[in-house]
Amino acid sequence: MRLSTPPKPLVARLQPYLLIAPTLILVLMFNVVPAVKTVTDSLHKPARGLNAAGKPPEFVGAQNFHDLFDESHYLGARFLRSFRNTIVFALATVALGVPLGLLLALLLNHEQPLLGVWRFAVFYPSLLPLIGAASIWSFIFSDSIGLANAVLRSLGHPGLNWLGDRTLALLSVIIVNIWKQAGYFMIFFLAGLQNIPRDIYEAASLDGASGWQQFAALTLPLLRRTLLFVIVISFIFAFQTVEQLQALGEGGPNDSANLLLYLIFQNISERRNWGYVNAMTIVLIGVVLTFTLSNFLLFERDESN
Amino acid sequence: MSICRKACIAFVILALLASAGIAQDDIVIDFYFPSATANDAEGIFQRYADAFQERNEGITINPVFTGSYTDTRNTILTELQGGGAGPDVAVMLSIDLYSFAEEGYIIPAQGFIDAMDDGGAYIDDFFPALMANGVDEEGNVWSIPFQRSTPILYYNAELLAEAGYDSPPTNNAELVEIAQALTTEDRDGLLVPVAGGFPIWMYQSFAIAYGQNIVSDDPTEVYFNTPEAVAAVEFVRSLGTDLGVGPAGGAAWGDTPVAFLAGQAAMIYHTTGNLSRILDGAEFEVGVWYLPSGPAGDDGTGYGSPTGGGNLYIFDDGSKSDAELDAIWKWVMFLSSAEIQADWGATTGYIASNATAWETEPLASRAMEYPQYGVARDQLQFADKEFSSYATITVQGIINKTLESILTSESEDAQAAMDVAQAQIDGILAEYK
Repeated sequence: MRLSTPPKPLVARLQPYLLIAPTLILVLMFNVVPAVKTVTDSLHKPARGLNAAGKPPEFVGAQNFHDLFDESHYLGARFLRSFRNTIVFALATVALGVPLGLLLALLLNHEQPLLGVWRFAVFYPSLLPLIGAASIWSFIFSDSIGLANAVLRSLGHPGLNWLGDRTLALLSVIIVNIWKQAGYFMIFFLAGLQNIPRDIYEAASLDGASGWQQFAALTLPLLRRTLLFVIVISFIFAFQTVEQLQALGEGGPNDSANLLLYLIFQNISERRNWGYVNAMTIVLIGVVLTFTLSNFLLFERDESN
Repeated sequence: MSICRKACIAFVILALLASAGIAQDDIVIDFYFPSATANDAEGIFQRYADAFQERNEGITINPVFTGSYTDTRNTILTELQGGGAGPDVAVMLSIDLYSFAEEGYIIPAQGFIDAMDDGGAYIDDFFPALMANGVDEEGNVWSIPFQRSTPILYYNAELLAEAGYDSPPTNNAELVEIAQALTTEDRDGLLVPVAGGFPIWMYQSFAIAYGQNIVSDDPTEVYFNTPEAVAAVEFVRSLGTDLGVGPAGGAAWGDTPVAFLAGQAAMIYHTTGNLSRILDGAEFEVGVWYLPSGPAGDDGTGYGSPTGGGNLYIFDDGSKSDAELDAIWKWVMFLSSAEIQADWGATTGYIASNATAWETEPLASRAMEYPQYGVARDQLQFADKEFSSYATITVQGIINKTLESILTSESEDAQAAMDVAQAQIDGILAEYK
């Protein structure tokens, strides 16, 4: 016969909840509540006009989203342009920054004179604070006194208005981002490369495989997990880019180099735009989730194969 | 009574005593200030705070440097919108008036002025152009001029003399002629800083010179697509494109004085807030003159610049005691006094905002030694209101983006782009009529 266990005292039953309470409260306060508020605010328009302070917002359904995708709306044109820029920026920094990081890792994975110096030189940009690095580049890119144009002019070129020219501004921000991140990605690739046993390369050499064949058939497949990881974080970094823009032309002339997160920051200070700002945030989260999930699914499928 | 209960009561009594002790302590005034130039604002304000506290026992000033003007506005809005205390007094752009009044965060200075014995004389001492942005359409004074500026023309007098020009340009035709004569392969003839997110201020100088400011006393009216407004932006664009005296799309704000000091720009439009820095940093003779007159006329009607810079705002949501408000007003009076304005003007180059300050040391001697200081003051007689409307930030954003698209030639047709902007602005301001 089983003896029924006596009921636990209240304290004992509450104990697990008490233990997770601090975390739960923090998650509720800083994740769940703001997320819910973002969704509800994106469906409302704040009260506007004289004596609007203190009046409740008006429910407008999907109107804020509709306005954002309307080229003739005052924020719509800015949103659409920044949205396109964000996608271009993310694809460009990943497509150029990740291979560059890999290339640097391959070059600096062999014993050579001054190896530490080279590695440090490539890695140190990622140690600099973002805004400091961007300020250095804003000097390099400066039209009349900048380093980049001094070099160009010494070669007989009249110089470029890097941050002031609408066709160059986004490219300038992409260059800074790649410079900042390539060394960081290199560290992951170096770690990955050093985990690959050397003897398989020796075996491949004996079989007559060329350097390129070794890279394509051995290095790349064995770095697959590192590569996927770096691509995922590179995408996430790209969508989170905001600080650099403060020092690099504040989004460029007519938003030609603006990115979504910075556009959100630029428009948050006036109450009338809160509905739009929250709607933009939802779109941005949607894009980041899409990219991250698709990367995750690729990774999973890859693992299961 | 248990020991525990006794201890609790003792603790409560002690806590009450402690809080009473704090209440009897100094009144602390949180003072937020931005800096738009490379001056040592933090050091200067600490000096003013120390001087004020010496004379006003029981009041402590807590100066907080809050970055650029934009950062300051965002900091304050974020704090207040999140239920925080915010500042008691802050220097914010004079054009921020309607944004903050609309939210109910600030109170007018008019009540304090009315309570003064000589309030009328206090206000009359300020230059009228500097009061324009601090007064609402009913004539109530909200904010007090403090860190004020206008754009002026800086020129490298040695380069002008080498090219045979003894005096600076006084109208747009001369401006273009001299700028072209001084443009070389590694030097710009004229830099107008309209790139970098805030072209509206410099653009306004040209709009006024063409005969139509884009703003009026009515905060629900904007004149952005008038023929004068269109001609003005087309002229600014032509400086970088057809005339080639500066970069297409305009120069960046921070680079402009640096290029001037390095001899890489012969003339620049820039704020008087940089006057001291430029005079101290230049290894050549620096000339300063009014912004050249536009087609509106050389008789003074074509001169003109917007005013700019920051005013002192008083924050109160109705919860502050009379003693606190009294202390706040003392601090505002102190900062706007002739004594401090004279020091501030001489140290930075910002235009001391009241007439008496110009007869007060150290500014009186400084202005005597460097007549350049007086130019900025004298230009005030032609100065007009800086752009400000209801929903200022949003409306200004529309204007800035439109100007940038025209200046970088993304919008070839300036009139069409400005018509679109005007329609968007009218739509927003209709909510305030």
